[in-house]
Amino acid sequence: MKLGPFDDLALDAALRAGIDALRRVPDVRYAEVRFVDETSERLRVRDGRPEQVATSGSRGVGVRVLGAKTWGFACTPDTSEAGVVQAALAAARIARASAAIVTRAVPFPELGAAVGTYATRVAVDPFAVPLETKLGALDAPVRALRSGGAKIQSAEAWMEWTRVHKHLVTTEGTDTKQSFTYGACGMHVFAVNDAGDAQRRSYPTWQGGDGFQAGYERIGALDLMGNAERTRDEAIALLSAPPCPTGPRDLLLESSQVGLQIHESCGHPTELDRAMGSEISLAGGSFMQPELLGKLRYGSDKVTLVADATTDGGNGTFGWDDEGIAAGARPLVENGRFVDYLSSRETAAALGRASTGTMRAESWNRTPLIRMVNVSLEPREGTLEEIVADTKDGVLMATDKSWSIDDLRLNFQFSCEIAWEIKNGKRTRMLRDPFYTGITPEFWRSCDAVAGKDEWKLWGITSCGKGDPMQIMHVGHGASPARFRNVSIGTSGAAR
Amino acid sequence: MSIDGATLLALCKDALAAAGEGEVEIFAREAERGFARFAFGELGQHMQLIEPQATVRVAHGARVAEVATTRLDRDALVGAIRDAAAAARLVPETEGFAGFAGSDEATGASPPRFVDATANASAEDRVERLAPVLASVRDAGLVSAGFLETARAASCVATTRGCARKHDGTTATFKVWALETPGAGGAAGYGGQVHRDLRALDLRAETDRAIGVCKRSRDPISLDAGSYDVVMEPEAVSELLEWLASTTFAAPEVEQGTSAVAGRASERVTGEAITISEDPLVDGDFGLAAPFDREGVWRRRVPLIVRGVAREVLFDRTYAARMRARSTGSSVLPEFGASGGIGACALTVDGGSAKSVDELIAGVDRGLYVCRLHYVNGLLDPRRAVMTGLTRDGCFLIEKGKIARAVGNMRFTDSFLEGLARCDAMTSARAAVPTWWSGGGACVAPAVRMRAFRFNGKSQERAKL
Repeated sequence: MKLGPFDDLALDAALRAGIDALRRVPDVRYAEVRFVDETSERLRVRDGRPEQVATSGSRGVGVRVLGAKTWGFACTPDTSEAGVVQAALAAARIARASAAIVTRAVPFPELGAAVGTYATRVAVDPFAVPLETKLGALDAPVRALRSGGAKIQSAEAWMEWTRVHKHLVTTEGTDTKQSFTYGACGMHVFAVNDAGDAQRRSYPTWQGGDGFQAGYERIGALDLMGNAERTRDEAIALLSAPPCPTGPRDLLLESSQVGLQIHESCGHPTELDRAMGSEISLAGGSFMQPELLGKLRYGSDKVTLVADATTDGGNGTFGWDDEGIAAGARPLVENGRFVDYLSSRETAAALGRASTGTMRAESWNRTPLIRMVNVSLEPREGTLEEIVADTKDGVLMATDKSWSIDDLRLNFQFSCEIAWEIKNGKRTRMLRDPFYTGITPEFWRSCDAVAGKDEWKLWGITSCGKGDPMQIMHVGHGASPARFRNVSIGTSGAAR
Repeated sequence: MSIDGATLLALCKDALAAAGEGEVEIFAREAERGFARFAFGELGQHMQLIEPQATVRVAHGARVAEVATTRLDRDALVGAIRDAAAAARLVPETEGFAGFAGSDEATGASPPRFVDATANASAEDRVERLAPVLASVRDAGLVSAGFLETARAASCVATTRGCARKHDGTTATFKVWALETPGAGGAAGYGGQVHRDLRALDLRAETDRAIGVCKRSRDPISLDAGSYDVVMEPEAVSELLEWLASTTFAAPEVEQGTSAVAGRASERVTGEAITISEDPLVDGDFGLAAPFDREGVWRRRVPLIVRGVAREVLFDRTYAARMRARSTGSSVLPEFGASGGIGACALTVDGGSAKSVDELIAGVDRGLYVCRLHYVNGLLDPRRAVMTGLTRDGCFLIEKGKIARAVGNMRFTDSFLEGLARCDAMTSARAAVPTWWSGGGACVAPAVRMRAFRFNGKSQERAKL
């Protein structure tokens, strides 16, 4: 695959001029100049009409400078040599201005240079597929979803493609060129009855659908048409289903909901910047404090959670992070024990550790932050059906509907689109409006079954928000279905 | 060199003429943001951000396609118009597409939105203003976090039908936390303010507020889940209001039947004390929004709920045509991962008659005083506006009309509209609360008292892990 804008020699010279200018500034300890060129396409078909047919392009350079004490960041859409140098010097000036009120210099150990290229494996370039083909692939399942009679109020399908070219050069000699192709696709349907009750059912999951790093070849594998009838029928059936019971039950979660649980209750709290207090102004801190490293019994011995930026096709996969750290795979929780953080060079140095390579910025005009990579639950053994057969009195929930967790990532409450009662090893009736709630380590300690690798799936989240100003990031979570004992469940729906 | 609205508009008109396409709309905006973010008592992320964007829509009949670019120059805009024109020929028709706004669109007087002191604030200015903030939190034996942002934005809309709008605005936003620990929980207090004039922000007062709440939040007791009368500060009310707006007041949610007001126009949906409006043209301290939307439609005050009765909802031009209404000037661009469409930008709740928050507290025998909320989610049952979330940065037990002591953070799950139906008092004073994702907007709300609000859980202290 061609590297696109990386062939531009003038741009290459401009980036190097920015770095050279900063090398001449006496109080600059480290600097990175990051060029980003992003193209995206959003297609959305609703009730037989195109709701959104949009493409966008974004191109510019971000410069982060570590001065004598602290950081400065500036950016520019002007990718000429003059534009980049001006942004570089502005970042240095901001770092110098900020130093006036900083009491402790940022620790930042020197590292050697990283040099290389990375590109997503793409079989079919989504930007080369005709627009009519893509819209047709969305319109057909929407029509199938709409064919369910008067109770079907609305149906929608969407597809998003993003291509990012990123070139990072630093004062340490790092020079990496990376090209990413992200996709996401999904659909949902709303059913409403005469009483005005509404139910949503989504496929393959909610919140942007299934995100991935690959080409158009993934759309066929999703099989929207093959899942439309079931999705529609479940939405209609939910209208007359009884509410989820309230009280403690054994809880089974299907794979995508385990992914969401990992995201909120393991991914975010193991971000070391958050644990150290950097994210108070948006999302809060973390109960997973450094003194608990190696000591905290986070989950049962069935629970091993790995941060892996090398997983093929993952939304959180890359070659190097935005500080030039090579992608790697590291356990965060090993057989239930909290063992590591998602970290940066600065935050890891504060603990005397090495960065786990997770710094990424949303775009050229944002500074890098610690972001999840692919944080996944290792598979164990068996199947979901075997776990169901082994459950006497429980509930199986699927597809996230709402999510909320406290500012230390302890008390969570997630509601799902659908649930099924499990009695004496059998899946019985459908239940509507289910939610479950708990305290993170108590919940993961209650995990006594994780299905095997045949049911392990890597999910992609396309809308993880963090930072001020808010940055949206692609992250991944792999999981198999799992069981948690004695969890507090309930219903968010009105009594009928 | 910053671009202004007039220059941006001239650029867009030039591109429209050069491209020669029949039906085109350009919305262009360039924001410059100076953003000084501090945490664990240190200024660690100080950023000078530039956010240029032009969004071009081209229509061939009712076939519409959109192309956006961050390059704000003539060649890039002409290229975007041609790309959108090529795509528009390939897409199906958009039902209800009403064409782009023309020269006959209603207009009005532009409210004051631009202040030089904010627009010209430098990195050194922000540092100078933050120095006493960090020092006073440190002197109180606490840890500071937060940010000071100074932003300017120029925007314009130009269409081939002759609609031409331009706008220049500024926003200064300050948020501060005083914390017992940097990121490990414990007592916390918050202060914050948003205004178009940097000089109107009282950083000292807001910092003192944060320190005061943090000190009072020490040694919290643990309360059981249950229903409590609750007094909420404007910051907490605004968080619920933002979610209510996103699930309830936009035409698409009404059309698909998931909105709490779908099929309930002119019906009572909450308490008689409650009047909620979209009020983008408001003047005075609360004025922040641009006077027109991304389609060039001049905004207006939209009564959403009046004395508890559902009134209007928010439309763009297409949904207005489709649902036989008039656009309310509520077309918005994608933000925070959303696909864009229709949204509020200046929600307001009318105030009541209480002279102070203390007066609201005095009317509670046993209940909770809630300063802020955290991670609210309103997707549980949007038809009833059921939401869940947690208290944060100050939650206190009220006993016999007085604040008795701090309480550990609690989780609520309740219908906001049903809670407002049990609202029996509000302050007359209201505050503009910056939106939680720091997008430069604000909600205007009073403090409210709601009876029997349902709390179904509590957080856990780290010591018990």
